[in-house]
Amino acid sequence: MTKKKGQIDPRSLKFLTAVSSAEYSKSTLKLGSLIASVFDASLGVVYVGEKASEFHGSSVNLTRQNLTDWNIIHPGLEVLEWALQELKKMNPDNKALAKIQFNPDHVYEEDGRVRVIMPDEEGSRIELILREGELVNELRKEMQLENYDLAIIGGSQNKRHLAHSLIQYLPASIFVLQKFNPRKKYKLLILVDDSTATAKSVEYGALIAKKLGWKVRTLTVSKTKRFGAGYQGAADMAKQYFESRGIPVEQFFLTGDPVRTFVEFAGDNHFVIMGASTLNPVKQFLFGSKPIQTLKQTDIPILIVR
Amino acid sequence: MHISADMLYWIQRKRWLLIAFLLGAIFYFLIPKPDDLSLEAYHILIIILMTLILILKEPIPLPAIALQLIFWQVIIGGSTPNEVGSYFMNDAVFFIMGSLMLAVAIVSQGLDKRLALGIIRLTGNKTWRIVAGITAISALLSSFVGPHMVTAMMLPVALTLIRFTSKKGQTNSGLIAALLFSIAYGATIGSIGTPSGGGRNVIMMNYWAEFGSGSLSYIQWMKMVYPMVLIEIPLTILIILKTFPPELRVLDTAVRRLSVEVARAGKITGKEIFSVLLFAGVLYAWIVLSEDYGLGSIALIGIFLFMAFDLVAWKDLSKGVNWGVVLLFGATISIGVQMKITGGAAWLAEGSMNFLKGVIPNVDALRAVVSVALSGVLSNLLSSSATVAVVGPVVLNLGGDPIRLGLASVISSAFGYFTAVAAPACTIIYSSGLVKAPDFLRAGWKMAIMSVTSLLLLALFWWPLFE
Repeated sequence: MTKKKGQIDPRSLKFLTAVSSAEYSKSTLKLGSLIASVFDASLGVVYVGEKASEFHGSSVNLTRQNLTDWNIIHPGLEVLEWALQELKKMNPDNKALAKIQFNPDHVYEEDGRVRVIMPDEEGSRIELILREGELVNELRKEMQLENYDLAIIGGSQNKRHLAHSLIQYLPASIFVLQKFNPRKKYKLLILVDDSTATAKSVEYGALIAKKLGWKVRTLTVSKTKRFGAGYQGAADMAKQYFESRGIPVEQFFLTGDPVRTFVEFAGDNHFVIMGASTLNPVKQFLFGSKPIQTLKQTDIPILIVR
Repeated sequence: MHISADMLYWIQRKRWLLIAFLLGAIFYFLIPKPDDLSLEAYHILIIILMTLILILKEPIPLPAIALQLIFWQVIIGGSTPNEVGSYFMNDAVFFIMGSLMLAVAIVSQGLDKRLALGIIRLTGNKTWRIVAGITAISALLSSFVGPHMVTAMMLPVALTLIRFTSKKGQTNSGLIAALLFSIAYGATIGSIGTPSGGGRNVIMMNYWAEFGSGSLSYIQWMKMVYPMVLIEIPLTILIILKTFPPELRVLDTAVRRLSVEVARAGKITGKEIFSVLLFAGVLYAWIVLSEDYGLGSIALIGIFLFMAFDLVAWKDLSKGVNWGVVLLFGATISIGVQMKITGGAAWLAEGSMNFLKGVIPNVDALRAVVSVALSGVLSNLLSSSATVAVVGPVVLNLGGDPIRLGLASVISSAFGYFTAVAAPACTIIYSSGLVKAPDFLRAGWKMAIMSVTSLLLLALFWWPLFE
């Protein structure tokens, strides 16, 4: 089923969060859960493990099959089990979620992935998925298969390369977590320009601000001293949208190099929402784009809306 | 031209396929062949270059790599489809197929629990003795049945011990690595011991027969190579214990709990006994009858009997075997034979010898170095069997004694200690997620020095006794 472009319908939203281990993914999962509850969206949790060389595929499969006879489960399933327990702790009011029991034997292999079947999962709006392969490729396949609206990804050691690929190739909005502190009160910074994604960025911003009570700022950056009608119109539209929902908003208009200005303005206490680039894919690949450059230059959480 | 994001993504994902074919096109259309190389041989070497890139980077699935090997041989290699087909299926491919199926058949019997109990009774609860026991049993078993079957059976034993020793907040990384590497390295050093220890051994035997380079019986192979396995076992144990010192000296509780877990399997059943006997029969036939019937045919008889007696279902066999690998080995062997027939292998062999002649003046030593270096390096990048399939024809054209050079090549192709991709046993322990890539380097270089030294000793002092 393909979703209609345009206004966000929270009940039909599907978010996907990628986890790697109990050690490194706790804050990603926490924010994934929080963001999903803000939007009342269903949440898919995916573990993407390394895939063994096809040469030894038979041997690895045979060993895995044998390990299940010894009640030793795939390391990825262990991470998903941990994720489920964490989600239960994070959402104590979700009665449907509390009822779910994890059983590593109840898995279903389909479309090159393993889905954990959870009895009584009805109403919990959680899915647990195991995939193996290259991260960007597997996330892309998962998002296309289940028609997800947003991918929530933790910061990565291999930031430069991964950021580029994620932003360029994932077919939906992306939230890159980086250094997110769940206890910190962030200000929401929405980058507003004349691109088509601005309207959706504003919608996402309004939902987050309303639910979390964060202050909202919009920032419009022009390379020259003149702000064209497109920029001015987009900023006005954003202001009206927030005010019509009772959300106070501060507007900022700055001139300079867009990426450097975003990064300097955002500092370390903003949660940035920006539209995906509308540049053609080859130019993005060769020269990067504003979201790609921004992501490479800052550690704050960034939501890139497509 | 407008390139969509999807198209760009495809190009990025498949860049190594494009690079391989582009390089092939450049060599085919733009670069003239060397004067001393026939056109057919030049084209075969182009196909091999493209295939090596594809195997190394895996931009397309293995079966697709096999298919391109077949059609390029027909399109540019100057072979007819029937010629390619005639080299495609042979005893080595039967053996690879049969041994993969036998592994599924044996592992599905649940005999690993008996094996675990046996090891524990043998070793007791001291950590070093358990590591030593697992290494020795893995090596000895792997020498007859291959490392993939052994690792599939041994890994649950090690992981169960690890699980029972793990406490919250305490990481026994030394113990974990010692137990897992004892399986991987044990199984790998053992796999050279007999012809049935690995697909690459049978591929080399097949090349010897195909190229008229002589032959070795199962027992003769064992006589020449098994001493190296026996030398390597204690040295491997030492390397593992020194590189990954276990945090616990005794695994008392873990061993007790493992015994309880294993005891749940109950008494050995008639079906299990029959499976063991059947497999022992296959082993016996390999040792005694393989000269007449071939290792592959005997493996297939074994599989036939396992199915005839309802010990394994075809559904499980077909699911458990990666048929793409079988296809790839068939295709790789066929190109290996073409390399020999067209003279490409001889040209590469001569080129390697001339290149290194200035550094190593002694011809015998030079041949040995080329054989060991080519096989040892490539096996850390590809897989050991693929290495022998490609390098074998070159090694057998180096001159000198093809049996010894072939053995040196096969043995050194088992030196894939540095990475998780080279040997199936290494890939399997890596896939557990409990050991990391740098762990392979930490122990791998010591294993490589030890193995090269052992091979040198074998070649200098043991093999001359068979002259």
